[in-house]
Amino acid sequence: MDQVLLFITLGFAGGAVYAVIAASIVSLHAATGVLNFAQGSLALWGVWVVAELRHSGTLVLPVGSIPLGSGPMAAWPAAGLGVLSVAALALAAHLLVFRPLRTAPPLAQVVASVGLMLAIASLVPLRFSTEGVLAPPILTERTLEAAGTVINVSDLILLATALTVAAALSAYLRFTRWGVATRAGAEDELAARLTGLSPDRLAAVMWLLTGAATALVAILAAPTLGLDPIGYMFYVLPGLAAALLARLTSIMVACLAGLAIGVLQSILLLLSTFDGWPVWAQAGLGDAVPFVIVVVALVILGRRLPARGALGTVRMPAVALPTRPWPTAGVLLAAAALAIGLTSGSWRFGVVTSIIMALIALSLVVLTGYLGQISLASMAFAGTGGFILSRATMAWNVPFPLSVLLSAGVATLVGVLVGLPALRVRGAQLAVVTLAGAVAVQQAAFANPALTPFEGNLIDGPTLFGWDLAVRDGTDLTTSAFAATVVVIVGVLAMAVVRLLAGFTGQSFLAVRSNERAAASVGIDVARVKLAGFALSAFLAGVGGCLIGYSRSQLSVESFNVIVGLSVLCMAYVGGITRVSGALIAGLIAPLGVLYTLLNTTLGLGHYYTLIAACALVLTAVLNPVGIAGGTSGLLHRRTPRKVVL
Amino acid sequence: MNPPLLATEGLTVHYGGVRANTDIDLHAGAGEVVGLIGPNGAGKTTFVDAVTGFTPSHGTVSVAGRRVDRLAPHQRRRAGLARTWQAGELFTDLTVRQNVAVAGGRGPLRNLCNDLIGRAEPGDDVDAVLETFGLLPVADRRPGKLSLGRQKIVGVARALAGATRVILLDEPAAGLDTDESAEFGTHVRAVAETGRAVLLIDHDMTLVAAICDRVYVLDYGAVIASGTPGEVLADPAVRTAYLGSELVP
Repeated sequence: MDQVLLFITLGFAGGAVYAVIAASIVSLHAATGVLNFAQGSLALWGVWVVAELRHSGTLVLPVGSIPLGSGPMAAWPAAGLGVLSVAALALAAHLLVFRPLRTAPPLAQVVASVGLMLAIASLVPLRFSTEGVLAPPILTERTLEAAGTVINVSDLILLATALTVAAALSAYLRFTRWGVATRAGAEDELAARLTGLSPDRLAAVMWLLTGAATALVAILAAPTLGLDPIGYMFYVLPGLAAALLARLTSIMVACLAGLAIGVLQSILLLLSTFDGWPVWAQAGLGDAVPFVIVVVALVILGRRLPARGALGTVRMPAVALPTRPWPTAGVLLAAAALAIGLTSGSWRFGVVTSIIMALIALSLVVLTGYLGQISLASMAFAGTGGFILSRATMAWNVPFPLSVLLSAGVATLVGVLVGLPALRVRGAQLAVVTLAGAVAVQQAAFANPALTPFEGNLIDGPTLFGWDLAVRDGTDLTTSAFAATVVVIVGVLAMAVVRLLAGFTGQSFLAVRSNERAAASVGIDVARVKLAGFALSAFLAGVGGCLIGYSRSQLSVESFNVIVGLSVLCMAYVGGITRVSGALIAGLIAPLGVLYTLLNTTLGLGHYYTLIAACALVLTAVLNPVGIAGGTSGLLHRRTPRKVVL
Repeated sequence: MNPPLLATEGLTVHYGGVRANTDIDLHAGAGEVVGLIGPNGAGKTTFVDAVTGFTPSHGTVSVAGRRVDRLAPHQRRRAGLARTWQAGELFTDLTVRQNVAVAGGRGPLRNLCNDLIGRAEPGDDVDAVLETFGLLPVADRRPGKLSLGRQKIVGVARALAGATRVILLDEPAAGLDTDESAEFGTHVRAVAETGRAVLLIDHDMTLVAAICDRVYVLDYGAVIASGTPGEVLADPAVRTAYLGSELVP
């Protein structure tokens, strides 16, 4: 029993951070309507600013740095500066990103906040020397004894801080004139303006307050939780889970839910040390908890069809189908053959990776662009394909084309499972569910030592009728036989997708995207269409994952981690998520693709890739919501009269 | 005698503690245009939502004698029960032709196979429906580019695609001018002539009186009168509901 009490109090530190992130997300949503995925990244930035101040006395800014004194700074001034710099960062996010997106569709707001989340997180290892820096204690190190167990006083202080911060945010929104006006401004901007208070400025105040609150608790908890160049970014997931549990309305409920998740994760940690606890469940369970909670909460609270008067319609960029698919396919095939023929080594690897990534981006065009379901899990589908492929080739000896079909088939099943919540969850909330699902799959399956062998997941190269199609042949890094295989598979699937999107399937997807209630009223089974979309998308991504697997001969958790997945979404959005041509552009600029090869080998800027990708995403969301493909085809349309297919 | 194409018995809808529809018995036969009128807030749209499955209800709904009240909205549509929406709710991303073609209810797997092998579904005569309503010239335009009157007609055409036997029109003439309204009336009568049942909800009494065979009047969620348009409009209870009690002698 005393052990249980001990683990409950050990969960307070993580729970306090989740709680304040959740309270901040609810407050920001009430003030601006934005669901901020970057709240964890703000905490991450604050923690590192403080660590650097206390290490060298230098205040690091996103660009440049200010040396303050010659030696390490004392704890509390450093913490104060950390809080201030995060508040300033949050204000900048409001002014530069979210204010211009006030009236933008939810998809644009989601991708902008995902872009910001990635941008800040990718900036941390570039701006801070993450080697050997520690977070020394700020709060007291005293302990007290209660009920036969030793409790850290700092954990209790963190609990109290989280509750106080949430209560203060709640009181601000409920009882102050500014707070009430803030909530009014999010509901009806014009009416709020008539009262004489600027919703913009009130939203700015909210960004400042939540940025400061999140930073404060994260900085105080960092000595307990440890420094990590990325971890805090994902603290946003339990935070979002708690915020959704509170239906995005009650700050105090969100705070309590966040604390509860922290305590629950801590208790699961205790349980996993017991004998008889299954080995496969030892890792990743804590990451699966937020996913399960989000899904259960949203499914219980959600409706199969939006209610009368609910904001059921999601505005999305217009779609455009390729008007001449066969000639375009011919030109692209020639271009791909030329690109493969003229390159070798790492450049050819870049070209092949781009072609594979285009397929994964295409899976997002189908699911998000056409069906309107915002999914952040595409890389988890691809990963499922890749990891099953490793088993299929190494353990079960399944021959080449069948191995891909089998692996992609399993990915399809995972896609349907992840798609189930989408039957009742929509818009930005679905993005949360799919991201939580992706993290859960990553931690519980790909990164689980019980499921993944120590030497990594090896993959046996493909052969067809005795013909060796493997990616490597002696010193040749990327054989032309393998490149041709990739081109054929991706080409066939892309043409099939174009046919589907131009036909009844595409029409029913667009009908569901534009209006679920009306779609049901004309006899479309909205649930099955959504699941079909998830299945199709996961199949495409699964095949992509298999091709990635074959191209690397070995997979690790890093091959398909959530960051890569989010980068691919970034790229698909930047390329133009409602167009098949957008997927092609996405492939060219995707991680390890042609652009990456160019940055890495020619310009030596490979480290900056994720940062550049994230910034491109934010810029696209703000300036050009239809993406590169949409932007250029708009120019072409003015010159050539549009031909109608069908 | 054949069962009526549309029949409801004891249809009741609660929103929280509020009864939005109470014990509504209504029927409409083949070839009939039946009106449903009542003041704002009387529960007319709630009735349409309940019949088509968009809001939970008690009581029975049957189409040509077959109970459909346990079915999901899309299944009721496939059983022949179609509706239009007050706000149009056309698919803005699809052309007029696609708006009609997408209706009728095939499963996604069937669509997938049809698309891959390039087969058109037999029995889909989208152009015939468009022709009937004079929509062929605008078939390849997006509904947002059409006049409000035309958009309403696209909504009706979409509701008629496939094997529709009963169509519920929710304020189809709202926002139309007099000419458009009259033209719309002839379309509605023509639909009924093909052996379907039409339930028309509208505020436009001229239209209702001109094309309806029978009329039901709702007030506070209950039927307070029914009969031919002439009988109903002469009913004192109806006049009270519409005009207020102090004006009735």
